[in-house]
Amino acid sequence: MEQSNTSPIVLLNGITCKFGDLVANDNVKFDLIKGEIHALLGENGAGKSTLMSVLYGLYKPVTGEILVKGNRVNLKSPLDAIELGIAMVHQHFLLTLSHTVVENIIVGLKPKRPVFLDISSAEDKIIELSKKYGLKVDPRAIVGNLSVGEQQRVEILKALYRDIDILILDEPTSMLTPQEEKSLFETLQSMVAQGLSIIFITHKLQEVMAVSTRVTVLRNGKSLGTFRTSDTNESSLAQLMIGRTITRHAEHSRAKKSGKLVMEIKNISALNNSKIVFLKDLSMELAGGEILGIAGVDGNGQSELAEVISGLRKAINGQVIMDGRDITNQSPHSIRENGLAYIPEDRMDTGLILEYSLAENLVLDRYSSEPYSGRLFLKYSDINKFAEKIIMDFDIRGVPGINSPVRSMSGGNLQKIVLGRELSRNPKVLIAHNPTRGLDIGATEYVHKQLLKQADNGVGVLLISLDLDEILEISDRIAVLYEGKIMGTFDREYANIDEIGLLMGGKKDTVDSTKVIEGYDK
Amino acid sequence: MTSLPTHSILINKINLRSMVPFLTGGLAFVVGGIILSSAGVDPIHAYQIMIKGAFGSVRALADTLVKTTSLLILGLAVAVAFKCKIWNIGAEGQLYFGALGGLLAGLSFIGAVPILAPIVVIIAGFAFGSLFSMIPAALKVKLGVNEVIVTVLLNFVALLFISYLLHGPLKAPGFLSYSPNIFPQSELPILLSNTRLSAGILIAAGSAIGVFLLMSKTKIGFEIRSVGANIKAARYSGMNVAKSILITMGISGGLAGMAGAILVSGVQHRLIEGISPGYGFIAVIVALLGKQNPVGVTIVAFFFSALLAGSEVMYRTLGVPVALAQTLQALVLVFVLIGELFLRWHPKWSKG
Repeated sequence: MEQSNTSPIVLLNGITCKFGDLVANDNVKFDLIKGEIHALLGENGAGKSTLMSVLYGLYKPVTGEILVKGNRVNLKSPLDAIELGIAMVHQHFLLTLSHTVVENIIVGLKPKRPVFLDISSAEDKIIELSKKYGLKVDPRAIVGNLSVGEQQRVEILKALYRDIDILILDEPTSMLTPQEEKSLFETLQSMVAQGLSIIFITHKLQEVMAVSTRVTVLRNGKSLGTFRTSDTNESSLAQLMIGRTITRHAEHSRAKKSGKLVMEIKNISALNNSKIVFLKDLSMELAGGEILGIAGVDGNGQSELAEVISGLRKAINGQVIMDGRDITNQSPHSIRENGLAYIPEDRMDTGLILEYSLAENLVLDRYSSEPYSGRLFLKYSDINKFAEKIIMDFDIRGVPGINSPVRSMSGGNLQKIVLGRELSRNPKVLIAHNPTRGLDIGATEYVHKQLLKQADNGVGVLLISLDLDEILEISDRIAVLYEGKIMGTFDREYANIDEIGLLMGGKKDTVDSTKVIEGYDK
Repeated sequence: MTSLPTHSILINKINLRSMVPFLTGGLAFVVGGIILSSAGVDPIHAYQIMIKGAFGSVRALADTLVKTTSLLILGLAVAVAFKCKIWNIGAEGQLYFGALGGLLAGLSFIGAVPILAPIVVIIAGFAFGSLFSMIPAALKVKLGVNEVIVTVLLNFVALLFISYLLHGPLKAPGFLSYSPNIFPQSELPILLSNTRLSAGILIAAGSAIGVFLLMSKTKIGFEIRSVGANIKAARYSGMNVAKSILITMGISGGLAGMAGAILVSGVQHRLIEGISPGYGFIAVIVALLGKQNPVGVTIVAFFFSALLAGSEVMYRTLGVPVALAQTLQALVLVFVLIGELFLRWHPKWSKG
């Protein structure tokens, strides 16, 4: 444990937070010293965000006290927190995409002049702040036209504009390329050098090591202690965070099967929701028994690719051949009948109907066929029998009742419902789009095992994921998607995180081309 | 669906919640009383007359049930569409087209065939309403046109078209713009002599049961609910969303049309302008307050009909202005809706 002689700028003492029966924070102590980057490390659901929401005035703890700059405070809302100089940058940005950077930054502030906004002096202040902290962004740009990294800078500038001195960043790197990540870390260092104090919420060990001065580890709502980062290391932090050592799948060696092609994508082009050509002449092949990982930064055509294959989006050009049949632009139903299973990117939004029961969710794709229905009526007894089998097979827990809405279930169990439905189709091709997003380590491992099992059974698995570690862990081949194109395809043996990172950022020519295998030789 | 044992606290909560509309509705009568007394009417006396007017005699109750027939079927029509998140505000227009279909069947040679005739009249009403609702449905499915605008505007088209027919091709001889009477064989049988209560109320009750079975037990109902609950999940899991929307609108418009045909065959025995005093619009409220569920819609339709029937009697007996009776209806509506709003928002406040 670390002892400090400077008095902390923030002190959270004995914080306990409950949601119903769930104890999200259990007697947690946390202190932030002026001028440090303090990492808050923990798995999903460890209570990191809850603790910071307490400091940001979003939740009121059951017990515990909050001291800011030596004074005991009672935070009723984020406005109180901002008043005290605390700002939070959320994982999902709270920006108005159709407005300019300046407009987004000054929104909500009391204007100095009564009627017209003083845009130009705001612009001056923003430019001054950008220079001071190395946050390059054009104040007049429309936020919707900016990259994710730039949007994050706008969020940080929005906080700095309010003259804060304590900044909370919630999983700030989840959407960034490795290069953008590096520049964010540089900015953070320059911010603390100029007297700011930063709390950095993360579940990534490398980030803790790379950027933090001290680290506090949370597990199951309890604090496991605060450490000086230089006094600890990745593996001991990992043990604390997870409570056991990680078994890395990278070490798992699967007999690579060279199955026959189950899916060929030939020169596919498709529009995005704004009617812009977003997939550009994309081709790839998927063999049965392999996991092909599609790496890339969010918004480079991942959703469009998955949707074109599954029939949810029309291709304007090209062909998708699945199991020897041309399925281009067929209905989602007939593509599924032809052997597709699809774990969508958003289980709450697409994969499930939250007001439906578990049983109803499990038959969303097959309710109209035997034995789940007759000519006209659904057969709830057979549907429920099927549901009970899937609950057993996939070890689904926390079921509120087979006929009660699934809304209250945890993310991991919701994803198991999706897995249960999709994998019980006995597919030939499985698309898994961000299949472990928002899941804890246990559930993530479960999903990975299921994907590996599918591949072992000869299914061609297309793993589209924003989590590069996940792709590196379980894929046999890795393709990098950038602006609707495949920038390169690697066998896992040749995969090098730096090269993939550069390709993800669209920098193709700097990569040693000998290691990039275009396409895939049968 | 089998129901599972639910926690007793939950049941209490639900009961308490379902009481709220009655409490806020009661409050509306208190406020209405103040307005009535400021207009020089004794509110207690007025309300006594209202209750008598709605339930006080066989005749009064029959009149309430005649109104219930229309409001229940129309409420179901709107509820089916809303369940699919299709905002069909065109029940009034669909009702008029259904009335036209019923009239044409009742005037045709089939209209003179005993027993068969009323059945054909009702089916014709359903078919005409259903076909008319295919305009907004097709525009929505094919071109993505917002159904609210189309259905609202088509109400005017339907009303003006019927008005034209009643002043021209379908006008009965004489001065008034009525259609000729349908064949007596096409009339729905009257259930209670000396009242206007026809077998239409049985059709309405049957429709409520039918809609309940459709929505909760059938494949089509499952599709309609799925599209309404989460259109993305419905598409993703392979449902034909366009087909579901067309079927839903077909059922919704058909029910509304059927209500129109019942007004022709069971009440007026001909088509007149203003055959519906805005029932198609009141139905939107009935569907919303009834939570788009057949049981709820039935209860709300009955109470609203009683309110309509009672306030009509009140203004006729006491000679208070019609506007005052309508104010009372509006008050009930506003209060119940505010109550709903509080129910929906309150949990967010208590989270703090």
